[in-house]
Amino acid sequence: MDKMDQFIVDMGDLIGKTVRKKKRLYFQVKQENLRQVAGILFNRMKCRLSTATATETFHHIEVLYHFSHDATGDYFCPRILIDDKKNPRVDSIAPVIKGAEWIEREMFDFWGIDFVGHPHLQRLLAKDHPQGLDQPLRFRRDR
Amino acid sequence: MSTNQIPVGPFHPLLEEAEYFNIKVEGETVVDIEMDIGWMHRGHEFISEQKTFTQSIFLVERICGICSTSHPIACVHAVEDIDNIDIPLRARYIRTLIGELERIHSHLLWLGLAGHFIGYDTLWMWAWKYREPVLQMFEIISGNRNHYGMMRVGGVARDVDPDALPALLKILDEIDAKMEMIAKAANDDPVLKSRLKGVGVLSHRDAIDYCAVGPTARASGVKTDVRKDEPTDAYDLVDFEVIVTQAGDVYDKTVVRLLEIMESSKIIRQCLEKLRSVSGPIVNNVKEISPGEGIGRYEAPRGEVFHYMRSDGSNRPIRHKVRAPSFVNIPTFTASCKGIPLADALITLASVDPCYCCTERAIRVVGHAEQAESIDLLRLSREKTERIRRTIHGA
Repeated sequence: MDKMDQFIVDMGDLIGKTVRKKKRLYFQVKQENLRQVAGILFNRMKCRLSTATATETFHHIEVLYHFSHDATGDYFCPRILIDDKKNPRVDSIAPVIKGAEWIEREMFDFWGIDFVGHPHLQRLLAKDHPQGLDQPLRFRRDR
Repeated sequence: MSTNQIPVGPFHPLLEEAEYFNIKVEGETVVDIEMDIGWMHRGHEFISEQKTFTQSIFLVERICGICSTSHPIACVHAVEDIDNIDIPLRARYIRTLIGELERIHSHLLWLGLAGHFIGYDTLWMWAWKYREPVLQMFEIISGNRNHYGMMRVGGVARDVDPDALPALLKILDEIDAKMEMIAKAANDDPVLKSRLKGVGVLSHRDAIDYCAVGPTARASGVKTDVRKDEPTDAYDLVDFEVIVTQAGDVYDKTVVRLLEIMESSKIIRQCLEKLRSVSGPIVNNVKEISPGEGIGRYEAPRGEVFHYMRSDGSNRPIRHKVRAPSFVNIPTFTASCKGIPLADALITLASVDPCYCCTERAIRVVGHAEQAESIDLLRLSREKTERIRRTIHGA
């Protein structure tokens, strides 16, 4: 049993639908379990948080975290689906992983996602932009 | 003691990029630092989603003038990861060759800047002088000194001319000799050691907590290197060492980069030798990209470059995420700058090799009073080096 199989077994109900590719594991996580799963990946499995990708689809805003397991070169990617596109909120993992602070601030800036519990949630890249960018990567019709 | 704030940046005509630091000091000691970025934001992710996969590679090549092949390599890795596309053996060696040449010229660029910041202008001139032959190699291989346009999904765009291999190896020999000289000079210099040892320490724990990458992490004892962790291209076919040191100070970051230049040279030599014997196509024809998502990464000179792409089966990505290494390395200043003297702030900020600017001039603001006095951080840094030099060599 390799690292990914072991992880799926260990996580049990904490994770939902999984998609497995060569050296990549994408899996859904419920919002209430996110901090716990991030803590396990970072503290127990010694993964490094590379970054996180926010994407808007027709039904959701999703946040896909990318944890790199440097010892094996595998990627573990928990996916959060946010149903409320008007007021997207998700628990911040910055209290668990200091390196997530800027990553979450960037998503707050571009997507308007409220990371609950973030110690310093302020706009990062597009603030004071001469064109007054406001959540520039969101679909305009859905706002 | 009252706290003074020293704003640094964001714009200065001498430097090429914009960042802003608010350094809080008590007397000569830095007690806190705030960073502000976004002055250079150009919306590459949004633009890329309007382009085809092939056009995106050209676009990301223009994110950074120094890492102008790291982003394209990570980008093509992301697209290839969607469909598990293999690339020909010869293309694997060519990609590795280009990536390692870039590492040498980027590290030499940093070494020159670091020398300039601490008053070692000879080191600066040497490093930039010996960077020129590397750019000549690029010109022989790709026709350009920068923005090489070499990467394609499924391989590379241009073959290396077999007739050019002896000339490339000759230039590499010259570079090796000069690098040995620079490394020996730097290693034997007691002033340089005294000036940089114990300065701007990033602890092992902080490097892990901030998820630092590249030489910044490796100098703090974190063994992370994409080339070994997930070897793509020809990195599993060549012999090289990952350089890791433990102290986490500016001296160790310098040592890591100097030794990495030697390792890169080793890799380049192996690639050039292999290109003599390995023949065949340089690109696999990729007609379409299936729906799906892919992660691509590459060990750029500053650390892991990360690209994520999602395809809906059309000829363009519906999501393209880019994360450059400086984005995760810059927050480490919070840990490495606290408690250091102001004269060391400049070299500490420079030591992670961020795409950064405007640190050579600052205006000191006392409390909220009006602008009171100008301070030249560069002058402070150089004066400290001079003091150490006089102590060691005698006034």
